[in-house]
Amino acid sequence: MQKLEIIRGVYYDSVTLMLAAKELNKFKGVEYSSLSMGTEANYRIMANGGFDLTGINATPADLIIGVRGEEEDLLANAVAKAREYLISPPWEKTSCAAGYQPKSLDGAFSIMPDANLAIISVAGQYAVSVASECIDKGLNVMIFSDNVPLDKEIELKKHAAEKNLLVMGPDCGTAIIRGAALGMANVCPVGPVGIVAAAWTGLQEVHTQLARRGVGTMHGIGTGGRDVKADVGGLSALAAMDALAVDEEITVLLVIGKPPDPEVERRILAMAEKVGKPVVTCFIGSSTSGASASLFSCAELEESAAVTAALVKGMNPADAGKTLKEEISRWAGETVKSIGKRRGYLRGLYSGSALCYEAQLLTSQALGSVWSNSPLDKKMRLADSLVSHGHTIVDYGDDEFTQGRLHPMIDPTFRCERIVAEARDESVGVILFDVVLGYGCHRDPAGVVAEAVLEARRFYGKRIAFVASVCGTDDDPQNLSEQTKKLEFAGICVASSNARAARLAAALIEQ
Amino acid sequence: MQTADEKRNFASLLKSGANVINFGMAGFYDDLKKQEIPVVQMDWTPKTVNSNLLAKLKMLKKS
Repeated sequence: MQKLEIIRGVYYDSVTLMLAAKELNKFKGVEYSSLSMGTEANYRIMANGGFDLTGINATPADLIIGVRGEEEDLLANAVAKAREYLISPPWEKTSCAAGYQPKSLDGAFSIMPDANLAIISVAGQYAVSVASECIDKGLNVMIFSDNVPLDKEIELKKHAAEKNLLVMGPDCGTAIIRGAALGMANVCPVGPVGIVAAAWTGLQEVHTQLARRGVGTMHGIGTGGRDVKADVGGLSALAAMDALAVDEEITVLLVIGKPPDPEVERRILAMAEKVGKPVVTCFIGSSTSGASASLFSCAELEESAAVTAALVKGMNPADAGKTLKEEISRWAGETVKSIGKRRGYLRGLYSGSALCYEAQLLTSQALGSVWSNSPLDKKMRLADSLVSHGHTIVDYGDDEFTQGRLHPMIDPTFRCERIVAEARDESVGVILFDVVLGYGCHRDPAGVVAEAVLEARRFYGKRIAFVASVCGTDDDPQNLSEQTKKLEFAGICVASSNARAARLAAALIEQ
Repeated sequence: MQTADEKRNFASLLKSGANVINFGMAGFYDDLKKQEIPVVQMDWTPKTVNSNLLAKLKMLKKS
């Protein structure tokens, strides 16, 4: 049985609606609930969730509340509860509700005349018009929203460039400006490094790895992953490099991302040769050519942080990379001896897309091809992302998992269900995952994941080795040390970087 | 003397730090406040939406 109700002419952001639905699912008599604005995409998501929307005529400006269960009275109560949750949320309240919120940009400028950046996290279909208006008014923009059409991304970036402004994104989750964490970002020291990143969790990984080496970052400019593909041509990446090149506070530049389009890569490297300060590149897994005395190419994220840190400290960058590789190899060998190899397949469950990409790359070097919903090689694409096959690493941050559901860095619950399900599979020997800390992320991701691992261990014993990396610092709201302790208490082997975790996970598999 | 546009361009953002106008997720506003970054939260709704209906919802709850 289902109950649907439409509330016309109200708007809530998707995070609020998904948090409300999550609370509603705990309510007596509710098997499943969904709160969505009436967009075409949300109609599809609700239908996939088992709702019959025949005859429903909600528009994108209307809210649909849907609940499923067995008893009509309980469902009616649940809908009333949903209204209550939206008015008075039971989850953490935000402080902005108390202050004045302007409805127009002119209103915003009247209280903040020196505003210089708009952060936009409204639904993708509205993000373009909001960003365009902001650029018109002379604001740089960081677009967290995804589902922005490619041609609109190009238009926005060209429009911004004409006004010497920058567009970060779309799908830009992390940025750092003068050390301040924007979006999902970590609390790290401020220093002389400037980062340009076409990969959001890649930026978090190098930012925190630099911090662990005592090196601070001044700026981390996210471009969105599509920026370095052929169509966009690296518009934001090149503009950011140009600005950081002349920034006197930056002494070393670090450029990271998944491998760019070859022509974009050529342009990035050509610019790197001209900036007049050392440039470290990490196009994950790719070894760039044309290295000069001031250009350092790395294939892994932690390696790029180690090389950058060495350059800042006036040490030999080549030695730093070599020493790191030896250290990881020694650590992985000792850890394998200590916890023992396992028979079976590797299963990786990731919340960060760049970290997932790096893990696939490193584990496939040792284990051969790895299946994924977001594979390195299209031939290795899983037919069903929820069904693993052989060695598999799944990206839970991929669009297919985040439409109608909170990102796994905000709500790890869905990914945790898979941890228990994979542990049930007798052909599995090692389970690998990431835990990402920082502003914007879940307040206790390690606690939630550790609980799932303890449940898996209760039912399936110690047959499986669990390996995790934690991306964060002790200054993050979640505290790295506290989060690590929770994972270790659950018997999870915690590595200090994603590259280390992936190498260890592969080494633990008996071949 | 810098014009208003020059004060807001990308190089100037890097030089002076972020003064943010936030559209959407209120959690981002809270996190910026905690870091003492100047931020204004917009009361944003799609153009077709009548945000006054939120007040009507509140009235419904009271009745």
